[in-house]
Amino acid sequence: MTFLIQQTLLYAVPLMIVALAGVFAERSGIINLALEGIMIFGAFVGVLFIRIMQGMDVFQAAFAAKNWMALQGMELLAMAVAALLGAVFSLLLSFASVNLRADQTIGGTALNLMAPALVLFLIRIIANQNTLQMTEGDAASWFMIKKTTLGFDRKADLGFLGNTLLHQVYLATYVCIILFIVLSILLYKTRFGLRLRSCGENPQAADSLGINVYRMRYAGTTISGALAGMGGFVYALTTANCASTGDVAGFGFLALAVMIFGNWKPGNIAGAAILFGLFKCVAASYASIDINGDGVYMLATLGISSHVYRMLPYIITLVVLAFTSKKSRVPKAEGIPYDKGQR
Amino acid sequence: MNKKLLALLLSGSMMLSLAACGGGAATTPAPEESKAAEPAQSQAAAPVESKAAEPAEKTADDIPDNMTSADGKYQVAFITDVGQLKDKSFNQGTYDGVKLYADANGLSYKYYQPANGDQATDDDRYDAMKAAVEGGAEVVVCAGFMQEAALTKAAGEFADVPFVFIDGYPIGLDNVAGISFQEEQSGYLAGYAVVQEGFEKLGFSGGGGGTNPACCRFGYGFVQGANAAAANLGKTVEMNYSWEYGASFSASPELQTMANGWYTTGTEVIFACGGSMFQSIAAAASANDGFVVGVDVDQSFESDAVVTSAMKGLASAVQWAVAKVYDNTFSEIGGQGTSLGAKDDAVGLPTATWSMENFAVADYEEMFADIAAGKLDIDADYETGLEQDWSNLKLNIQ
Repeated sequence: MTFLIQQTLLYAVPLMIVALAGVFAERSGIINLALEGIMIFGAFVGVLFIRIMQGMDVFQAAFAAKNWMALQGMELLAMAVAALLGAVFSLLLSFASVNLRADQTIGGTALNLMAPALVLFLIRIIANQNTLQMTEGDAASWFMIKKTTLGFDRKADLGFLGNTLLHQVYLATYVCIILFIVLSILLYKTRFGLRLRSCGENPQAADSLGINVYRMRYAGTTISGALAGMGGFVYALTTANCASTGDVAGFGFLALAVMIFGNWKPGNIAGAAILFGLFKCVAASYASIDINGDGVYMLATLGISSHVYRMLPYIITLVVLAFTSKKSRVPKAEGIPYDKGQR
Repeated sequence: MNKKLLALLLSGSMMLSLAACGGGAATTPAPEESKAAEPAQSQAAAPVESKAAEPAEKTADDIPDNMTSADGKYQVAFITDVGQLKDKSFNQGTYDGVKLYADANGLSYKYYQPANGDQATDDDRYDAMKAAVEGGAEVVVCAGFMQEAALTKAAGEFADVPFVFIDGYPIGLDNVAGISFQEEQSGYLAGYAVVQEGFEKLGFSGGGGGTNPACCRFGYGFVQGANAAAANLGKTVEMNYSWEYGASFSASPELQTMANGWYTTGTEVIFACGGSMFQSIAAAASANDGFVVGVDVDQSFESDAVVTSAMKGLASAVQWAVAKVYDNTFSEIGGQGTSLGAKDDAVGLPTATWSMENFAVADYEEMFADIAAGKLDIDADYETGLEQDWSNLKLNIQ
């Protein structure tokens, strides 16, 4: 059970935060199809940052001394850098779609095509191969929080909650959850959030009340880029052993699906992301899942082909979307470039 | 003009890559002892290249992966298998042999990666071989049994160029030397060692989706060794055996999750059999305080979780085969298959770097000598042998 919860969270959290990134852009009226591209770019930047830090021996002493506070700081710093560069990358999209009033889907697609190519090109130059990895060690030994890092004995039993939430977890997961909550409140309970959402529904009306639509749309897309960049790095760190390959396994597109399925509402998105993460986890480790702890691995004994389990996450997405998309409510002005002269 | 620009870019990227790798403490040692003939030759070449100050024992990592030859021709060419060049395993180990031989003998060398990465087709591989020959290759080293179709075409077309087919077999052409390894012996030793060491729940995660003969032999040997050691100790061990992930020998989040699941449910050590798959499994091992058995080359430098590695002497085999081209004895191996095993000292475990406490080096050496002398015969017929009723082993094939 502990294993299932932890692995589900590892898959669900990047999805959740990137889906929220989509919400911020779309609620301000910009379709951000480039989530996948920004994630790829963010993952690359974060991994590169860690590599450079390792190469410059900045945190080697901290690692040798098992000073995990410093290492967590390094992780947060890498997340911040990935977010920053993700935001910068997304400026390309906002510039094209706000200032140049270009078609937003085309702009997003262009970024999606550019990011993996650019990232692979850079990785080839930097590392002379197709994967950018940490120069030494692995993500788990550097950044994972375990019982022993918190000062407990290796065999200590922390109870169900302790074992689940404090052992073998990444700080990044919790930071993302907190950010998700804070930003959801920002979107719904603050003046800024209301203004941002109004620009996605009726920008003319918003403009007539003195809200700068262009600025709001820039803000929405930039927050979106930052979150997607960070989400990309968190994905690479927690599930892919801190490696960047110019690929995030379609998580950006899945995040779009999660966003639509979650009806552009943070609460629903969190639920949708967890549902998807759960099936993703079941798909990869069905043979090791023991829910009630009786030593019987039920899913493995059913005798169903592993391919069926691996299809599950995608089938579930299709089915759920088919049933819920009728009720979905798209932000009204999404995808339409704002033109002041138009009524 | 274009050439100059290209050279500039190449050397620039080389510097960058060197700078990026420079900080890492992880270095790979010289994979195998070099051939006796080498030092003499390298000393002869030394004054010309003004490398006299350097010590004779140069490791493969000291030699850059990209080199620029003066005339734009590259004498020793290497065609990679699927997966990346620096996989810290099969491709890298083979290329190390190319680099070591070329560097010691003052030859130019280059690697060619077939286009389309993991999805490379026979045409992509043929194109890479053609490019190698047209680039002036005097010998082409091809890694991986998947090159067969492309090799048949390329070697037939360029009949005067010798090809070395690593993990290969004779394909009916006199200019192709097939070199294979008796991986089952290496796998056997690894399986025997970990069970003797005291591990009772093992895992095997192989690459190539179960179609790669080398990986199949490794796995089958691992099972036999574990069973033999368990019988010796009078106990029963369990093993998870999977080909599910790593069909293209790459690391993936799914593989990492699967390995996490295995470790969580009690698996103590996993044999990561396939190139970059090691990354995912080592990450899962260090998250769960588990252990890993490496493959092809000594991987103990990559992670503290490595107990030992089931090695095959790729670098030394390549050097041996390429040397035959240059001393005009290639006809001895051309057109034939050479199978290297314990008797040639081409497989085994790295006793200097393993972290075994309960399995003594002397016991290992005794067993190794038995295998080399043919006293202990290890079955290589994985197709019929694997799914039998093992006396002391519970095998869960996934």
